[in-house]
Amino acid sequence: MKVVYQSTYYTLYQSEKERCFYIDFVQKTVRMSFCQLLALRHKVLSIPIEHHFDSDLNKHGFELLQLCNKEHLFILNTLEVLDLKSLVEQGFVRLGISVNATALHV
Amino acid sequence: MKDIARQAMSIKVESMDMLNGQIKMEANASATYLAMASWCEQNGFFTSAKFFFKQSEEEREHMMKIFNFLIDVGGSPLSPEVTNINHDYSSIVDVFEHTLDHEIAVTKSIHQIVMKARELGDLTTERFLDWFVLEQVEEENTIRDILDMISVTGTEGVGLQLIDDHVGNWIN
Ligand SMILES: [Fe+2]
Ligand SMILES: [Fe+2]
Repeated sequence: MKVVYQSTYYTLYQSEKERCFYIDFVQKTVRMSFCQLLALRHKVLSIPIEHHFDSDLNKHGFELLQLCNKEHLFILNTLEVLDLKSLVEQGFVRLGISVNATALHV
Repeated sequence: MKDIARQAMSIKVESMDMLNGQIKMEANASATYLAMASWCEQNGFFTSAKFFFKQSEEEREHMMKIFNFLIDVGGSPLSPEVTNINHDYSSIVDVFEHTLDHEIAVTKSIHQIVMKARELGDLTTERFLDWFVLEQVEEENTIRDILDMISVTGTEGVGLQLIDDHVGNWIN
């Protein structure tokens, strides 16, 4: 298994043998197909981080993240969300299918 | 490192994001034309209603074309959320003027994606959009022709009914 990218809290791995990816979320490591990785990217980049700085829109500054067809559930704070966004952006650049770090936010 | 991601998907993720945005725009156009068809039906412009029913279907086809492309390249197409569809128009002329504005906005959006895909070196996406670039020329031209016909016919007297009849020439 090879490290694709490591952010402050998380690490994205690629397994050539299994033709899949792993993300180490500290509490647990999640195995993901490419499609699931794309789904994760969409979910993470869609999180409206600016709501974390407005107590009306996000009272507690936490985000619920469900992965792999609701198999996994994570609760992330603001810094973890930001870190995961950077893992996703940089990870896809390293994987060779994203051109720059400032991916379009969807 | 073996390119497992590249083997799974043959376009750039940025292109995929833009194409998902375009899927939304085509879905929005389809819903807008359906609202226009409804307006035309309710206001006695039955031929124009037919025209917009057909336009609405075409826009859905455009959407599905992009949707299926994203599947073909191994991407992840997203089913679009469509909200805030306007149902209020002041006249049949207003309806067609809005249609032209809408088509121009779609053209601009497609051009932007082409330019960005070119910047990304994503030839696959750029080539895929060739069809859309040319399709937009036709779509804009159709609506421009209808607006020309409207200004020649005039809206006085039986003008409005003549306009509706003439719209039949653009239903093929
Ligand atoms: Fe279209
Ligand atoms: Fe159109």
